Amino acid sequence: MTEPAGVEAEELVGQSSVWADAWKYLRTNPLFLIGLTVMVVMVAMALFPSVFALGADPTDCDLSMSRRPPSAEHWFGMDLQGCDYYANVIYGARTSVAIGVLTVIGVLVIGVLVGSLAGYFGGWADTVLARITDVFFGIPLFLGALVLLTVSAQRSVWTVSLALVVFGWMTAMRLVRSSVVSIRGADYVLAAQALGASSGRILVRHILPNALAPVLIYATIAVGTFISAEAALTYLGIGLQAPEISWGLQINVAQSLIGSSPHLLFFPALFLSVTVLGFILLGDALRDALDPKRR
Amino acid sequence: MPGPTTLRRRTSLASVFGILILVAATLSGCTSAPQTPPGMFSFYLGEPQRPLVPGNTTESEGSKIISAVWTPLVTFDVKSRAVTYDGAAQSVTSADNVRWTIKLKPGWTFHDGTPVTAESYVKAWNYTALSTNAQGGSYFFSNIAGYDALQAEDGGKPAATRMSGLHAADPTTIEVTLSAPFAIYPVTLGYSAFDPLPEFFYTDPVAFGKKPVGQGPFQSATEWVPGHGMTLTRYDDYAGKDKAKSRGVVMRMYTELSTGYTDVLAGNLDILKNLPPDAYASAKDVFKDRYLGQPSPDITTLGFPMYDPRYSDVRVRRALSMAIDREAIVDAIFLGTRVAADSFAPPTVVGYRENACGQWCEYRPDEAKRLLAEANFDTSQPVEIWFNAGAGHDGWMTAVGNMFRKIGLTYRLRGNLQFNEFLSKRDAKEMTGPFRLAWIMDYPSIENFLATQYATAALPPAGSNTTFYSNPAFDAALAAGNRARDIADANKAYQRAEDILVNDLPGAPIFYGMDQTVWGKRVSNVHYDIRNDVVLEDVIVDGQAV
Amino acid sequence: MTRFVLRRLLLTIPVLIGASLLIYAMVYALPGDPVRALAGDRPLSPAVQAQIRAEFNLDDPFPVQYAKYIWGLLHGDFGQDFSGRPVLEIIGQRLPVTVKLTIVAVFFEALFGIAAGILASLRRNSFFDNLVLISTTLLVSIPVFVLGFLAQFVFGFKLGWFPIAGVADGWVSYLLPGLVLASLSMAYVARLTRTAMLEAFSADYIRTARAKGVGRSRIVMRHAFRNSLIPVVTFIGADIGSLLGGAIVTESVFNLPGLGRAIFDAVRSQQGPVVVGIVTLMVFFYIFFNLVVDVLYAVIDPRIRYD
Repeated sequence: MTEPAGVEAEELVGQSSVWADAWKYLRTNPLFLIGLTVMVVMVAMALFPSVFALGADPTDCDLSMSRRPPSAEHWFGMDLQGCDYYANVIYGARTSVAIGVLTVIGVLVIGVLVGSLAGYFGGWADTVLARITDVFFGIPLFLGALVLLTVSAQRSVWTVSLALVVFGWMTAMRLVRSSVVSIRGADYVLAAQALGASSGRILVRHILPNALAPVLIYATIAVGTFISAEAALTYLGIGLQAPEISWGLQINVAQSLIGSSPHLLFFPALFLSVTVLGFILLGDALRDALDPKRR
Repeated sequence: MPGPTTLRRRTSLASVFGILILVAATLSGCTSAPQTPPGMFSFYLGEPQRPLVPGNTTESEGSKIISAVWTPLVTFDVKSRAVTYDGAAQSVTSADNVRWTIKLKPGWTFHDGTPVTAESYVKAWNYTALSTNAQGGSYFFSNIAGYDALQAEDGGKPAATRMSGLHAADPTTIEVTLSAPFAIYPVTLGYSAFDPLPEFFYTDPVAFGKKPVGQGPFQSATEWVPGHGMTLTRYDDYAGKDKAKSRGVVMRMYTELSTGYTDVLAGNLDILKNLPPDAYASAKDVFKDRYLGQPSPDITTLGFPMYDPRYSDVRVRRALSMAIDREAIVDAIFLGTRVAADSFAPPTVVGYRENACGQWCEYRPDEAKRLLAEANFDTSQPVEIWFNAGAGHDGWMTAVGNMFRKIGLTYRLRGNLQFNEFLSKRDAKEMTGPFRLAWIMDYPSIENFLATQYATAALPPAGSNTTFYSNPAFDAALAAGNRARDIADANKAYQRAEDILVNDLPGAPIFYGMDQTVWGKRVSNVHYDIRNDVVLEDVIVDGQAV
Repeated sequence: MTRFVLRRLLLTIPVLIGASLLIYAMVYALPGDPVRALAGDRPLSPAVQAQIRAEFNLDDPFPVQYAKYIWGLLHGDFGQDFSGRPVLEIIGQRLPVTVKLTIVAVFFEALFGIAAGILASLRRNSFFDNLVLISTTLLVSIPVFVLGFLAQFVFGFKLGWFPIAGVADGWVSYLLPGLVLASLSMAYVARLTRTAMLEAFSADYIRTARAKGVGRSRIVMRHAFRNSLIPVVTFIGADIGSLLGGAIVTESVFNLPGLGRAIFDAVRSQQGPVVVGIVTLMVFFYIFFNLVVDVLYAVIDPRIRYD
């Protein structure tokens, strides 16, 4: 018995798929290229920090040089412990970008999964999943992260990201769900259903590309938010800790010394802003590329 | 004219918003922070952790209110630290340092008009000592004969409700019998746990804890509202030496020092004790003569886990102590707002000797390396440094760690614990390396810094000896001091005890604190008492004493 | 629709029970001894510790503790904190502050966020659009505790435009904290709006409207905006819930005694009844606001059906 006619028809239509088209568009888009460059630089910085730091050792600290302002030998000055700040900010990229990216990936995976299931199937699936989401919403991040981090007994990039994912996936879920709910009544979805396509196929090929736009926008901004959230966790006493090196830790220390040593805040915040900008541009371009109405 | 569907949709939309606004409006209550009426001034306060009852308040914020609403039995001369009798007591005397007679000054009244008698004290002390009343200050009475009978055993009931060694001989005389001689007993009586309670307390302790009634220069005008504060007004019938020079004080609650500092700059807050790190260096220049900085009677020590074999060799402890450049930490991390420690007690207490710690508290990294090698310390394992999170200790702990690196060690910071967990682990002998130890003075004697942290009698859970140091020679020296004829002799014995500590170094003293206070233009005559608390009754508002 | 709403409200009860159990378990799982911590660095006599533990059922195993708590709940007793203050009283004092702060924050985030998003979408790639992009980036990059202190110092003290701290000035006290709190969400709202508007602009029905000669503003407001509301409303709805529950930092910086700070302190001191009481209330708010949002979907988009 051959495949149902509907699937065959669909194959023909789907040849120039949404994703291939998107790539063609992105290749020549200047904003995407800027965002991509920033991403590549940051990832390179994360993987090869010693190259970017020109061999300086972030842990070579001399307390007598504490908080020196920027100078010719130390471009970013020295931090509170008397360590070269330039090296520290470069090495901080690894931890911070990793936390941002890991968290967003985790949030997207869970959010898209739960949100699309809840939004598409409705009924009891929606009820159960959405109520679970409500409970997670209600758990204060501070309590949840504290319990999780205490139980896992160590503070690393992985555990901090896990804490942020477990207690931060809900907004992504709501966004995906809302998009799916508003699209599921659309004509082309009804058409696909009439053609006999399976739910999975409909979700992945038809609904998600159109539903992902808001959650992608959210995700690109969220990368920056999660990197900042790491700083907030440290501020509350439940984040990473020295001698780890991250922008969050640096911003934390810098915050209590803004008046006397503003350079301590300026540099990690600058790097963080550039990273955030890069991700936002990337996300915008991606969204544009996936927009079916662009064509 | 919009169609029916649109109309329906608009109505539903409107009704949803309407409901939301209604809900919000009903939920919006009406509380506001106390404003500062004329003739009164405002004072920065953190949140008291316990109800405002003297026997239950052992933390710094509640103490500020307690010390405004009560006057203690004895007072101290700020310069000499000697006991003076400008408080509620006329004299505290003893022939044998075991039986003490406390004579009260007559004519004192509580803020509700009832008289203060010896029985007010006796009843209050028994109440605090009785374990079923769950008062935090209970242990202050542990040296009175009969105290143990008031402690419940394992879920049972206490054997008695009144200590046998305590009674009121007449309305102005309290007779105390201690379980052992204690030469400096009068010095301890300056602590707030010994304050009297009016009869009203026993009828409604909960209400009392929100609006305390004492016999001091200020009385509670309002209740203490958590998160907001309370107002105290001048008690006109105060029988003590110095009536309040202002109409009252508004205790305003803050959670952030930086916010308080900004408010003082703006003139919204009158007095701020303790500055945010950003202001450490600049406050003096900004506030000029409205700034007061004095060393504070507290000490921060790096305790060693004496139960851990890795640190049981005294050479290791000495080495680690010599590896720390205390001056550098004080200058770089604290911008000069701490004082490098050179003894086990701060300079502000009676019995302090300069440089008692000697060579072990000096910065000698080469000697440290040598000693570590001599002791065969395992440098392949990192040194774990423990402290509680979120309280600003990261800076100097990291600096200490970096200094350990300079003598060839690696370190790991274990500063992720919340305060609760940290305390529990410390008490349970779970420290795997040096840890933070801090003590703030209860009364101005070196004994308070030695016995409470290093005596065998102070081993947890009964006390705060979390290094679990136990040395009979040290205990004997302390006991000799307690048995001494007078305070001067007692101090000599206590100093001998300190020498033993210096030799054994169960902890490495790191720094003493400093209290910095700034105040606005409205107030003047701001100075400290012996605890570096601002003497609130002396503060003058707008240049006019009331 | 009514059946939908009623069913949701009924489901609230099992959800709240489940949530309270989960939270109680989480607080129970926190390590450390809450009683010992009451005295801090000072000693607390063992007999007194035993007394306090007995009073608060802290020696009981978890199921017993929870059962006792539920029993109290059924009698209207939400428990007390370690100072003897009833949890209901704590909530009653702190909820109005949090509600006011949330209202102000949501107002700003919706107003400025949506307006900026619409304008940016109308003038795509213009100076204004890029300005919104840069501001978004900056607001996201600066953690709220840095932003809070900076804003307080500059706008409260140096410029004197707003009160520095406290709730003494009525609604005015909430303006600056509300703005600070809304700043991050404004970024999200602006970009979500902009994106959704851009999507809407290229839709067929917009082209039809233009061809019919409908005026620009009418197109924007009546057609494009309406259809871009769904993700924005979703986000704001989720945000209201999170604002109600956790503005710890903003409340601390501006000295607003709200629920966020109360939860923070209660978790640190491991006071189960306080945490459970407040958080269960939070979960209820979430359920309520998510229900409102779901109803709004149906209002905004007639294609959406629930039954």
